[in-house]
Amino acid sequence: MLCAIRNSLRAPLASVGRLFHTTPAQATEKFDHKRIPQDDEGVQGEKLVDLDSVLKAKQNLFPTLESDDLLFDGTPYKHLPVCNIRVSHNNTIFTLTDAAGVVKLLKSCGVEGFKNTKKGTNIAAQTTAISLAMKAIDRGIKTVRVKVRGLGPGRLAAVKGLQMGGLDIVSVTDTTRVSWNPPRPRKARRL
Amino acid sequence: MFITARLLANRHPQFIARTVFVQNNNVDDACRLINRILGKEGILEQYRLTRYYEKPFQTRRRVNHERCKAIYNEDMERKIKFVLRKNRHEPFPGCS
Repeated sequence: MLCAIRNSLRAPLASVGRLFHTTPAQATEKFDHKRIPQDDEGVQGEKLVDLDSVLKAKQNLFPTLESDDLLFDGTPYKHLPVCNIRVSHNNTIFTLTDAAGVVKLLKSCGVEGFKNTKKGTNIAAQTTAISLAMKAIDRGIKTVRVKVRGLGPGRLAAVKGLQMGGLDIVSVTDTTRVSWNPPRPRKARRL
Repeated sequence: MFITARLLANRHPQFIARTVFVQNNNVDDACRLINRILGKEGILEQYRLTRYYEKPFQTRRRVNHERCKAIYNEDMERKIKFVLRKNRHEPFPGCS
């Protein structure tokens, strides 16, 4: 009796639902991403899922037309000094400029005393950021906007270091140069 | 409307595009949010893809692999939904 019911159930189910693709996509010999260890690019939170809830919970996260004239520490946003951070795999370079782009301070992990591969670490970036922030405060710069360019281990650490050094960060901007029709890049590395 | 005009007028609209304000001195969250947005928009992916030249055969392989993965993921999701569904005709199949 039960069997009959089950049989009658099975038929429509089989005809309605298509079969599942139950074999996983096989990684072939040359395409095994797991073999290459993921290096730290300072992009924590890239795979964060609940973006919408974060956006809903907070207001005034993104600039509007009026934000140019918002006052931060008595200065309009557009006249705040800018801290440019150039992050690469091998180094992190900080330049502190005024709103017009005139360089006031420049510091890189190499200048700070880290040599060779140590330049490209997050610790180096953080230390450099802290010392730059100290110097900036000595010069009377307290509030900055931050521009980050490139991916590398120092990406997150650099911005954090600026804050730890005592600078007041108003906004974080990404200026990574990305093109969808770039000139032909250099040839691929052979690992 | 005006903000669109400003974005279009400038080739590199800095401090208006790809910008997040830091709230309550919480720099970490702001960085995370901007990373998340860049990742979701595919900007980081495009950046990584264009560091080195990708030969056409590699592009084909990558695209095919992505396709396979998408099909597998979609069906796995369907399967999981099917197994976890609540109102079954027969609550415990195979245990008559």
